[in-house]
Amino acid sequence: MRKPDGKIVLLGDMNVGKTSLLQRYMERRFPDTVSTVGGAFYLKQWRSYNISIWDTAGREQFHGLGSMYCRGAAAVILTYDVNHPQSLLELEDRFLGLTDTASTDCLFAIVGNKVDLVEAGAAESQEKEGRGPGTAGGGGLPKVPKPVQPEDAAALYNKILKYKMLDEKDVPAAEQMCFETSAKTGYNVDLLFETLFDMVVPVILRQRAQGPPQTVDIGSCKTPRRTRSGCCA
Amino acid sequence: MEAGGDTTAPGPGDAEDLGDTRFPSEEAGEDGGVHEDPPDPGDGDLEKTESETKDQPPGLLSPLPQSEALSCTCGLWDPVTSEDSPMGGPESGSGGQGGDPSDDDWRSKRKHVFVLSEAGKPIYSRYGSVEALSTTMGVMTALVSFVQSAGDAIRAIYAEDHKLVFLQQGPLLLVAVSRTPQSAAQLRGELLAVHAQIVSTLTRASVARIFARKQNYDLRRLLAGSERTLDRLLDSVERDPGALLLGAVRCVPLARPLREALGALLRRCTAPGLALSLLAIGGRLVTAAQERTVLAECRLDPADLQLLLDWVGAPAFAAGEAWAPVCLPRFNPDGFFYAYVARLDAMPVCLLLLGTDPEAFHDMATCRRLLEEGMHSLGAMRALGEAASFSSAPATSAPAYSVQAVGAPGLRHFLYKPLDIPDHHRQLPQFTSPELEAPYSREQERQRLSDLYHRLHARLHSPSRPLRLIYHVAERETLLAWVTSKFELYTCLSPLVTKAGAILVVTKLLRWVKKEEDRLFIRYPPKYSTPPAAPAASTDQPSHNGLFPGP
Repeated sequence: MRKPDGKIVLLGDMNVGKTSLLQRYMERRFPDTVSTVGGAFYLKQWRSYNISIWDTAGREQFHGLGSMYCRGAAAVILTYDVNHPQSLLELEDRFLGLTDTASTDCLFAIVGNKVDLVEAGAAESQEKEGRGPGTAGGGGLPKVPKPVQPEDAAALYNKILKYKMLDEKDVPAAEQMCFETSAKTGYNVDLLFETLFDMVVPVILRQRAQGPPQTVDIGSCKTPRRTRSGCCA
Repeated sequence: MEAGGDTTAPGPGDAEDLGDTRFPSEEAGEDGGVHEDPPDPGDGDLEKTESETKDQPPGLLSPLPQSEALSCTCGLWDPVTSEDSPMGGPESGSGGQGGDPSDDDWRSKRKHVFVLSEAGKPIYSRYGSVEALSTTMGVMTALVSFVQSAGDAIRAIYAEDHKLVFLQQGPLLLVAVSRTPQSAAQLRGELLAVHAQIVSTLTRASVARIFARKQNYDLRRLLAGSERTLDRLLDSVERDPGALLLGAVRCVPLARPLREALGALLRRCTAPGLALSLLAIGGRLVTAAQERTVLAECRLDPADLQLLLDWVGAPAFAAGEAWAPVCLPRFNPDGFFYAYVARLDAMPVCLLLLGTDPEAFHDMATCRRLLEEGMHSLGAMRALGEAASFSSAPATSAPAYSVQAVGAPGLRHFLYKPLDIPDHHRQLPQFTSPELEAPYSREQERQRLSDLYHRLHARLHSPSRPLRLIYHVAERETLLAWVTSKFELYTCLSPLVTKAGAILVVTKLLRWVKKEEDRLFIRYPPKYSTPPAAPAASTDQPSHNGLFPGP
């Protein structure tokens, strides 16, 4: 079997569109929603590297498996639904902790999906209230919750850096790592994955140079422990 | 063809009453009060239930969903409510706002299935939204605890054309409210299957732990996304009876040499901690192999096997290689196995590798490549593709055969379960049946046939007066059910067939099954294989091993 060279994991609450994002990228289509069971593994050839992508279930039921999927990950895509602020909060509350098992130099991307719905909501409210465009759903309909602003995602990104004790100078800036996408229209989907692939390649090379295998191995258990003690200190 | 003394052959006149409970009329009340509580007090109880729910909707029911919605917006983004709207679709949200017990559409459903916690918290309802059903479920809890307080347990209530069946499983209460001709025992079997489905995703131990810690926990949080699986399970009873009714699995018809070669291949390709490997197409079994070290003592229970077959058929497994925990309730309700599920070669052929090591994904993926290569060199892919291609419903891509293959004019459909399999194979009960074709292509017709099969099954297996042979002339078909020491058979025949003609058809069918049995059934299930021992890492952590949930 082709051994994957690097691992990318999609995390996020249920129903934010993780599977749809991946399917849009891999198969160029937007299929009907299915609820993921456990996690699904995909292999993507990028340049001369095999990048494995884990699409995980957002359901709380499978929460226990999360850290297993993240083990040794080179990058984690934290996904939320821009129309549901709670799904952004969930990333910090429920999913960030799972990434403790990821590689120490793991990259983080924060992705707000379903922007097409914001535009639809904004257009509707614009029609109703006769307001101008530009406030990307700022007012919104009373029924539609206020969508998440890109600044909120950037704030979370900086929080993650703090949590991981990473220096802002060593890692890509928030503007580079926060995306707004639509799996339905395909907006920014290729950009997201391909930007990340390009960033993951150096990580793979670095990991190769260092030697420790990033796949399931007894040796890799030490990595998370180090991270954790680093956090508490 | 000797029949038991009880053979009933109602004349065509009786057949007019197919829709009601006339069928068991000759033994009036047999269905009604055999082992259960007498029907009379039950009548009263049901009416009480109905009148209460009828009286209350404006006062009690409407504020409830509102308060739910309120808590949604300010606090938790409740994953369940958000899941309901896009996923529920027209089927589950049939009542518009859904599930208001005063809603005619909701009330007119033939069968309701509810799951609730001991504290009366709604967990699942086949139709409508559970929020709107709080009051109804409250009544159910009241009924159960009232009988419980007298040191007794409520099993069923019979009320006119309704049966209410109660099943308590740990902290969960399951209730079926049915107008179908299914017997209470059959309904209980369905509730057990629903419970097994819930246990398979959460384990019995964790359900018990959750409710021990917090009695009013909302289990929907954890079951979110699994409702569709429960819906599918309950639908299958009406659309395609057999598996649950007969407690057996259906096999893909396949030439014996190929099936045996595939079995041998499965035994050869092993991985550390691998317990079971299985090939299936459209929820039907091709072959399976169990590993000696893990599953030596107990063969897999058919209910567990059927659960796995249904599970791997879920749309979630259509793409990629999946890795997910699953619990086999009959084998060990308290521990998880870890399952590798993938479609082979972009075909409808599905591979399941079940192991005990949560970290063994890559080992399993390697095992899959080996299997795939082996199958290519056997030329098995093409043969399996052909087996899968015949189907009147291409969407399901279920491998099947036409009833025409039997060559018995007048025969429309049948279920056949062999009972004469050698002893060491008994743990793999199987049945076979042809594709449902016209006139049973429409939902309504399938339901009618399913009802008839259920009635016949209930009569054959009646605990007080079991029958061996039933010849039943119904309005639009004639049925013959027969159980011997060698088989259990249900046939559906044209309504114009005579009794002598029916016997002729059945004789022909039995001869055909005998001729084809090597193809229709797994006559000689593969023996065990012995996988390499799991690496030290996983034996160090017994708590991760599904089989030994820790000291």
